[in-house]
Amino acid sequence: MTAGRWLLAGGMTAIASGAIPLQAQQSLNAEVDVSAGASTENVRAGSMQARVFGASASDWRFVAEVSMAGVDGQLSDAFNGAYPYDGQLRLIEAYGEKMFRPRQYLLGIRAGRYRTPFGISNRSDHAYTGFVRPPLIRYGKSFALSNTFLEGGADLIAGTPQLFVETSLGVPQDEGTLRRRQGLDATIRVQGYYRSLIVGASRMHSGRDRSLASFAKGRSVFNGIDARWMARGVQLRGEWLVGRPFDGVTTTGGYADLLVHHRQLGPVTLVARAERLDYVAVLSQFSLYLHRFTGGARIRLLQNLSTQINVSHQPTGLAAGRRTVLDAGITYSLRR
Amino acid sequence: MRHLCVWLLALLVTGGGAPEGDLHGTATINDTPVADAVVWLEAPGVPAPASRSKVVLDQRNLHFYPRVLVVQVGTIVEFPNHDRVFHDVFSFRDGKQFELGLYPVGAVKQVPFDRPGLSRVFCNIHPAMAAYILVVDSPYFAVTDRDGHFTLPNIAAGTFTYHAWRPGGAILNGSAAVRAGSVLDVQWR
Repeated sequence: MTAGRWLLAGGMTAIASGAIPLQAQQSLNAEVDVSAGASTENVRAGSMQARVFGASASDWRFVAEVSMAGVDGQLSDAFNGAYPYDGQLRLIEAYGEKMFRPRQYLLGIRAGRYRTPFGISNRSDHAYTGFVRPPLIRYGKSFALSNTFLEGGADLIAGTPQLFVETSLGVPQDEGTLRRRQGLDATIRVQGYYRSLIVGASRMHSGRDRSLASFAKGRSVFNGIDARWMARGVQLRGEWLVGRPFDGVTTTGGYADLLVHHRQLGPVTLVARAERLDYVAVLSQFSLYLHRFTGGARIRLLQNLSTQINVSHQPTGLAAGRRTVLDAGITYSLRR
Repeated sequence: MRHLCVWLLALLVTGGGAPEGDLHGTATINDTPVADAVVWLEAPGVPAPASRSKVVLDQRNLHFYPRVLVVQVGTIVEFPNHDRVFHDVFSFRDGKQFELGLYPVGAVKQVPFDRPGLSRVFCNIHPAMAAYILVVDSPYFAVTDRDGHFTLPNIAAGTFTYHAWRPGGAILNGSAAVRAGSVLDVQWR
């Protein structure tokens, strides 16, 4: 399996770099992102992701992505935006999908290994957007969700572009620090769209963290709402969820993001986030009540080179005991 | 009657019954073929199409297809989103300026392009997505393939002023005589 992942990663990199010429540019694309970063929280990180997108003549589309990332230093959520940082080459997504448009309706099927479609869950929503850290509710050690939740199964969309229901059935294939037990996962999401406003509601019913199996009972259940709006280069988005990672405890929390990519800012995208997470455990000493505020920027230095700089403040202290930390990363991207 | 007038006008402009032929050519930079270059011929007096044609600039796999789109003045460009992620297509710099707002998979937005010019098109969510829409006041245009080749079909015999543009390059201007078997080589140096 590991050899296969390396072969896949090598092939994607070769396509993205141009070493393997593409015969049909409209049906195959490849990307490689290489990043490095450091935080005053005593964390240094490096990562590489490679992905290919393609389509058959009948418009069946496929996506495959691998990632290898590692950190050195303090245990932290820095640089864990959308990938596992465990030093291993990981297959992230690998699926095929097809969309149908019968008259004004929308039908879509996806099968394979894909990110759990709960709320704002896509890779491009969390990786290299300008935020260096994932939202608290999407970090694996927060007793909520994880941005590296993956499903092995099938996902169906039905409705219209203005209003559709997405249903996913599968088994957990998580990477990263939080890995759910095997068993059937079900996620349902309803999404509505009016002008530039998109709102969604999600429910997930799945297994709990494997590492908690000695004391945690029951299944993990979360309900959430999410919204996004954008105009004139200003994007507002956020999520709020309530639920339980296992029986007897509750997790409540969410975040609101502001992303500004206005014409006058040139290559700079300004970002800000306010977030909260309350984890109420059976024993109060294990409970978490966290607030965090982040400001920063994503700056496009050259066509393929960008940097992300964040300052985060957490009144209760971050992992290294600091209340305010500076994170900086640089990313080189190849696309073909 | 209106169609007859348009037809007569087109006949006069194009030389009144001169035989038509295809104009083939190659675009190069220092002898290296240039893909996605645009070549078009001036055609003063040729009226815009009676009805607005629609052309698609697709969004799929976090790319725009095609990367370079050339349309005649008056064309409506459709921007369907075929990705499951959201896109927010905009052009702020030159040419037609617009922002389409966030929209999801399956949705289609339209923009009419009523003036000649170059629009640089981006997605506000995915900064690596980029495309060009070149609007020309002519029905005679073509985009070069990966080998730098292009074909302008059904051009009446005569002498035309041509223009050529490529991403990141200057516009070239020149004169081209069109007859059966004509070849036009466009060279940037």
